Amino acid sequence: MRVVAALLIREMEARFGSKPGGYVWALLDPAAHVFLMTIIFQAIARAPALGVSFPLFFATGYIGFQFYQAMATYLNGAVKANRSLLSYPSVAPVDTIVARYFLQLGTTAVVAIVVLGVIVAWMRTPIELSWPPIIEAALVASTLGLGMALINNVMFLKYALYEQVFSIVNRPLFLISGVFFLPDAIPHPYREVVLFNPLVHVVMQFRVGFYSEYRAVGLDMPYAYTFAFLTLFIGMLLFTSSSALLRSE
Amino acid sequence: MIRLEQATKFARTKGIKKPIIDRASLVLQRGKSIGLLGRNGAGKSTLLRLIAGTIRLDSGRIIRKGKISWPLGFQGSFQGTMTGEQNVRFVARIYGVDTRELIAYVEDFADLGPFFKAPVGTYSSGMKARLAFGLSMGVNFDYYLVDEITAVGDTNFKKKCQVVFESRLQDSDVIMVSHSTSTIRDYCDCGVVMENGKLTYYDDIEDAIRAHNGNMRER
Repeated sequence: MRVVAALLIREMEARFGSKPGGYVWALLDPAAHVFLMTIIFQAIARAPALGVSFPLFFATGYIGFQFYQAMATYLNGAVKANRSLLSYPSVAPVDTIVARYFLQLGTTAVVAIVVLGVIVAWMRTPIELSWPPIIEAALVASTLGLGMALINNVMFLKYALYEQVFSIVNRPLFLISGVFFLPDAIPHPYREVVLFNPLVHVVMQFRVGFYSEYRAVGLDMPYAYTFAFLTLFIGMLLFTSSSALLRSE
Repeated sequence: MIRLEQATKFARTKGIKKPIIDRASLVLQRGKSIGLLGRNGAGKSTLLRLIAGTIRLDSGRIIRKGKISWPLGFQGSFQGTMTGEQNVRFVARIYGVDTRELIAYVEDFADLGPFFKAPVGTYSSGMKARLAFGLSMGVNFDYYLVDEITAVGDTNFKKKCQVVFESRLQDSDVIMVSHSTSTIRDYCDCGVVMENGKLTYYDDIEDAIRAHNGNMRER
C-alpha cells in the first residue's frame, strides 16, 4: 500500500508536473474533443440521436468510453515505463499497475464531473441525473480496462508483434462503441453484432444515467459484467504466472 | 540471515539454456560481510540480484531475514524530469522512512547546493552519482549489496564516502562483488566462490581468494 501510494504521487508528478498547465491539460483534452465533435456533427445533422444537446450526447458517449480507453492506454505501459524502479526490491510489478489504475480512475472521474457538470449547468432544460447507472458504467469500463492492461503488460513483453496487432484492433473501437450513434437505431442483423462489444453496453448504461427517457434497447449489463470480470480474472492469472518474466530485464 | 535452498537459475539467450546457479544451498549468517568471487560471466551480479529479490529463481528458494538494500549507488531509477529532492522523497516513501529526515541527510551528504532542487536531468554524471550514493547511505539496511564499488567524486568526497560506509558497516553487513581482491579483503570477512554453477562458501576470505586465484590459473 505504501509503495502504491509512493508510485501514485510519483506518476502524478511525472505526468502533470512536467509541462506547464499540468492537470489542466487532462481536462482540456477531452473537453476539446467533445467541442470538436459537436461542431462537426452539428454541421451535418439537425439533432443528436438522443435529447436536444449535441455536447451532452457526445460528452456522455466519449467520457463513458474513456473510462475504458484512457485506462487501457495508460495502463498498458505501466510496467515498462517503471521498469527501472523494479530494481528496488520493494517495488513489485503489480504495484505500478495499481498505482496507475487509481490515478487514471480519479483523473477520468474529475474530467467527467467537470466537463459534464459544465454542460449540464448550461442546458436550458434541467436534467435529472441518476447516479447508480453512471457509477456502474464507469466501474465496469475501468475494470475491463484494468483486465486488458494486465493481459497486455505480459503479452506486449512476450510478443512484440501482438502489440502492433492490438493497436490496429483497438483503434477503431472508438468508432464502433456507440459514442456517436445509438445501437438502438441500427437495423436487425447488424445491431446484434454491435452488441457483442461490451463497451457498447457500458456507453449505453452511462447514458441511461443522463437521459431518463432513454430506453436503451438491447442493453445487457450482466453481459458487460461477465466480460469485464472474466478479462480481469484472466489478466490476474496471466500476470501472476508471469511474475518472473515481468521482473527480468 | 540469508539462506539459499536448492537455488537454481538459468541464463537463456537465443535458445541456449545454461545454469548459472545449479542447485546451490548456502547460509549467510548475519554479522559477517561476504565477498562474491568468480570469473567474468560466472553469475555474480545475477546472484546479487537474486538475493535482492529483483529477479526470480527458476527453482528452489531464498529466505531473507533482514532489510536488504538495492545495489549501492544505483541511479537507474532517477527520473530526469523530477528534482533530486523529489526522487529522494520517492525512495523514502517506498521504504517507509521519514521523508524529511532522509531529504535532509541526502541534501547534506551529496552537497549539490541549489541543484538538489533542480531536475536530475540537468545533473552531471558526478552529481548523479553523489546523489545516488547519499541515498544509499541515508536508508539503514541490514545488508548492503555492492556490485563493483565505483569510487565517485573528487578525493574529498571519496574519503567522505568511505568514512560513512565504514560506519554503516558497524551494524550492517555487505555482500560485495568485486574483481579487486584488495577491495574484497578490506570489506569482507568471508567469501563465496562461484564456478560452473557451484557456490562454495569459505569462512575466511583469504581461503576464498586463494581458491578463486586457483580457479583463474587453471583456465
